[in-house]
Amino acid sequence: MKVIEFDIRGQICPSTLLTALKEINEYSDQLVDGTVRLAFRTDNRDAVGTIPESATNMGYSVTVTRGDGYYLIEIDGLEP
Amino acid sequence: MTAAPYPLIMGICLLLGFATGMILHRSDYCIAGMFRDLFLFKRVVMLRTLLLLIVSSMVLFELARLLGMLPLYPFPLLYSPTPANLIGGFLFGIGMVLAGGCVVGTLYKMGAGSILSTAAFAGLILGSALYAEIHPFWASFIKRTTFFSGSITLPQILKLPPVILIVPAAAVGLFLLLKWKKSGGLLRQSSAEGYLQPWKAALLLSLLGLSSYVLIGMPLGITSSYAKLSGYLGSIVFPDHVAGLAYYQAIPLKYVHPLTNTYLEGGGGPRFDVLSAVQFPLVAGIILGSLSSALSLKEFRIYYKVPAGQYISAFTGGIIMGLASRMAPTCNVWHLMGGLPILAASSMLFLTGLLPGAWLGSRLLMGLVLKNPVAEKGRCKV
Repeated sequence: MKVIEFDIRGQICPSTLLTALKEINEYSDQLVDGTVRLAFRTDNRDAVGTIPESATNMGYSVTVTRGDGYYLIEIDGLEP
Repeated sequence: MTAAPYPLIMGICLLLGFATGMILHRSDYCIAGMFRDLFLFKRVVMLRTLLLLIVSSMVLFELARLLGMLPLYPFPLLYSPTPANLIGGFLFGIGMVLAGGCVVGTLYKMGAGSILSTAAFAGLILGSALYAEIHPFWASFIKRTTFFSGSITLPQILKLPPVILIVPAAAVGLFLLLKWKKSGGLLRQSSAEGYLQPWKAALLLSLLGLSSYVLIGMPLGITSSYAKLSGYLGSIVFPDHVAGLAYYQAIPLKYVHPLTNTYLEGGGGPRFDVLSAVQFPLVAGIILGSLSSALSLKEFRIYYKVPAGQYISAFTGGIIMGLASRMAPTCNVWHLMGGLPILAASSMLFLTGLLPGAWLGSRLLMGLVLKNPVAEKGRCKV
C-alpha cells in the first residue's frame, strides 16, 4: 500500500480540513480499493476533531496517533 | 485620597486571563471559527455552545444583579445603539475570519505558537492606529446617529425591569440547549489530548465573565489594550502626531471600582490607567495560559513556513478587526459575552452585522486565500 503524507502544520483555519477533504476526494478510488493510505500531519487541535469526523461520515476508516508535537491522522479503506 | 488599587486589579486580571487562555486552548474555543464553519461547512455544534455561553452569562449576571453584586448595571463602556454597531460588527466579522481568530482567539493561538496569529496581532495594533486617524469623523457619525439616547439595554428602552425580559429569553435558550443536549448535539468528538468539551468551556467562560464583572466592574474585554499599544508604538515613531490625535486624549471610562470603592479613569491613549491595569494583564494571562496548556500537552511548536497568502490574510484580517473593534465600538467578546447577556441593543446590532460579515469573510478566504491549499501546503521547521 502506498502511503501519501501531507504536512499541513501551522496553517490558517480551515486550510487543514479543506486540504484533507480535497485529497480524500482526489484519492477516493485508491482509498476504496486499498492501494493508498493518506496521512495528514497537523498541529491544529480543531482539525483533530473535524478531519476524522468528516472522513468517518464519508465511510472511511480513520486512526489518530500522537507524534512529537503534532497529530498524525491516517485515512484508508472503507470501514468494514 | 485613596491610592488606585492597580496591583489588586492587575493580579485579578492576570489570573482571569490565565484561566481563560487555558480553557480556550484546551477546547479550541474559536469564536471566529464558529461563524466561519456555519457558512463553509454548516457545522453548528460550536455555535450552540456559544449560545450556551450567552444564556449562562445571562442567568449568572441577572442573579448577581438581583443579589446586589453588580452596582454598575449596565456596565461601563456600553452605549446606546447606533448604526456604527452594525457597521463595526460587519467589518469585524470579515476581519476575524480572514485573521483566523478573533481578538481573543488570536491571543490563545499565539500562545500555542501560531506565527499566523502573531501576524494578526500586529494587524490588530495597526488597525487600532488607523482608527485613531478617523476618530473625529467616526465619533461625530456615532453622535449624529445614536438612537434611544440614554437607554442602553432593551429593558431600559422598553422601561421594564430586566428580569421581565431576561427570564423568557433565557428560557427559550435553555429549552433549545436541553433539546440539543438530549440528542448529543452539544458534543464534539475529538482525539486531541486533554480536550475540553466546548460546552464545558462555555460554562467555565461564563463564570470567568461573572467574576470579572463582580471583581472589576466589567465583563472580559481586551481591545483597548491594542489601541494603547498602537499609541505607545506610534509615540516612538511620530510622537507629535500621536500627541495631537483626539482619540488618544479621550478618557471614555470614568467609574467607581466596586470592590474598593475607588474612582478610576481610563482611555485608549498611551498612558498607564485602569484600562492598562485591567487589559494588559488579561492579554498576558491569556497568552500565558494557552502557552502553559500547550507546553503541558507537549504541543507547543512554531511553524513559520506557511503560504505567504495566509500571512497576508491574517495580517489584513487583523487590521480590519482592529479598526472595526474601535468603530463598533469594542469587540465580539465584549458584545457577545457581556452585552448580549444583559440584552444591550448595541450588542444585538453588532451580532446582526457580524453574521453577514463572517459570511463575506468566509467567501473571501475561500476565493482569495485558500484557492489551492494543497498546492501551497507548507513545510514545518521546529
